[in-house]
Amino acid sequence: MSKPRVAIFDFACCEGCQLQIVNIEEEIIDLVGAVDVVEWREAMSEQSHEYDIAIIEGSITRPEDEHRVQIIRTRAKILIALGACATIGGVNKMKNNFDLNEVKRCVYGQDAGMPHLATTTTRAVHEVVDVDYKIHGCPIEGEEFKRIIRDLLLGKTPFVPNYPVCVECKERENVCRYEYNEICLGPIIRAGCGAPCPTAQWRCFGCRGLVDNPNVDAAQEVMEQYNLTLDDLKQKMVLFNSK
Amino acid sequence: MSVSTVSKDQFKQFVEALIRSDQRVVGVQQRNDRFVFDDLATADALRLDYDVTILSPRKYILPQKEPLLQFAAGESYTPVHEGAPMVLLGVHPYDMASINQMDQLFSQDEYDSHYMNRRQHITVIACDVVTPSENVFAASMGTATVEKGYDMLLTDIGDAYVVQAATDKGKALTNLMPQARPASEADLDKCRAVQEQNQQKLNQHVLECKPSYLPKLLEKNYEHPVWEEKARLCYSCGSCNQVCPTCYCFDVQDEVNWDLKSGTRYRAWDGCLLEDFATVAGDHNFRKNRSDRFRHRLYRKGKYVPGKIDGQIACVGCGRCITACTSNIANPVDVYNQLMKRTDIG
Ligand code: SF4
Ligand code: SF4
Ligand code: SF4
Ligand code: SF4
Ligand code: SF4
Repeated sequence: MSKPRVAIFDFACCEGCQLQIVNIEEEIIDLVGAVDVVEWREAMSEQSHEYDIAIIEGSITRPEDEHRVQIIRTRAKILIALGACATIGGVNKMKNNFDLNEVKRCVYGQDAGMPHLATTTTRAVHEVVDVDYKIHGCPIEGEEFKRIIRDLLLGKTPFVPNYPVCVECKERENVCRYEYNEICLGPIIRAGCGAPCPTAQWRCFGCRGLVDNPNVDAAQEVMEQYNLTLDDLKQKMVLFNSK
Repeated sequence: MSVSTVSKDQFKQFVEALIRSDQRVVGVQQRNDRFVFDDLATADALRLDYDVTILSPRKYILPQKEPLLQFAAGESYTPVHEGAPMVLLGVHPYDMASINQMDQLFSQDEYDSHYMNRRQHITVIACDVVTPSENVFAASMGTATVEKGYDMLLTDIGDAYVVQAATDKGKALTNLMPQARPASEADLDKCRAVQEQNQQKLNQHVLECKPSYLPKLLEKNYEHPVWEEKARLCYSCGSCNQVCPTCYCFDVQDEVNWDLKSGTRYRAWDGCLLEDFATVAGDHNFRKNRSDRFRHRLYRKGKYVPGKIDGQIACVGCGRCITACTSNIANPVDVYNQLMKRTDIG
């Protein structure tokens, strides 16, 4: 059996998730042994239009990006969204909270009208093309990336948690931030990261996006129990979970 | 049973000797503003005056993730059994009661060799509660004190501990307490007084019925407004499962190596409140509603598990779920009392 061909593409992002792949270090040899990497701008110069698995990092923010990702979709048998920018739009979606022209003027100043700076509303990859699998996080977790890739190579549906961060936070024996009347997005955000943020006594910022079925109806009443408001909660959602 | 008394200074020397022995010693320690079980580096770090630990000692009895077997290409596999000797130091009576229940559950019907092998290598030194935690209700559940399961039981009588060595393992440990003297009548009186007080005191939430009545109470209330009233606010976050000493559900998963042939089969904690807990083959979820899952947990504690272990209620009143639940809905006493209010006991 020939090895599956994998291509890695980046869109609007910081490339931090690709760096996480590079950071798997010695196991990168195992990875390269198990698959044929045919295109990966960050790590090699070759390019190829022939691939089975396309890994997309970054969100879709320009008309030409939309076109490019559509072409990738037609070529790939399996398309994976890699990292928060790709899975949920990530921090790039913050711009959707403002008037687009204002954003352009603010970022590019006088050059805002230049054609190569054309920018539209930020979208996650699944909002533009069908996505088969999502590898969550800002950045992704190396261990989870490796496990998901191995499962896919075996033809097995990879396990991706659909339970909240609280599960892993409790596993690490943390005291809940709410016990200190602080907000945390943990109860509605998908786990898989091992809850590093609440473990460092920060709140969960929501980089893995919402669980499939978050109990948003509970939020108002629960916030009130801690002298917090729904607006407090929404404010904290802006960073990673803007519309 | 041999009962002796050691001064607190002598006890400290005992703990130091224990740490120097070839066993792993895990004891209760302070972490930030709470307490946890963790590997003990010095006798000074041990805090037997603690109120409650965030997670129960279950994390050592049934680890969060444990390998079950290693598989290679083809059909061959090797079972993995963990069993390094370990001393658990400072287990409260309610947690001891939960361990006793798990010992029974994992040894009857299908004997679980992974659990039992590890368990047989663990020595439990229990201690009576000195400081009640804010949500403990062990007195309501009959678990404020405990009579069995431990190898050694310590009771703080002020300047000394009364030490009861209950098993051979416990008696062997008393060799590390050369200065212990036989407990005097006065010491034993003090010890009994502490225990009698705890049977009253550890009751921050008062269950309005005998625990033995719970199976019947639940049987009558499968349909009841309280399930939806509470579950409305439930995040399905499973915190109530994670912290509970009597939750023992796990999920089994395989992790393959890069050769895509060999790998390890693990089991890891699961929780019945999580949305996908009851999802079976074909993606069918037979407890799809939050209220079904919320109800299931309280049925499990109050009716299903008791049916397997001679009626013992699988809630030991540690109160951890009450503290851990962000939505403040997990308190079993509150739910059971609400059912009581609207049920004719008959
Ligand atoms: S998800 Fe985060 S780390 Fe990954 S590319 Fe986007 S901004 Fe960078
Ligand atoms: S700190 Fe956050 S993630 Fe942890 S239990 Fe509390 S709400 Fe959940
Ligand atoms: S705790 Fe929250 S913000 Fe932190 S890594 Fe996990 S999902 Fe992301
Ligand atoms: S149900 Fe709650 S109070 Fe009862 S044993 Fe479990 S965590 Fe403790
Ligand atoms: S801790 Fe509370 S909110 Fe979380 S699953 Fe349990 S009952 Fe629901």
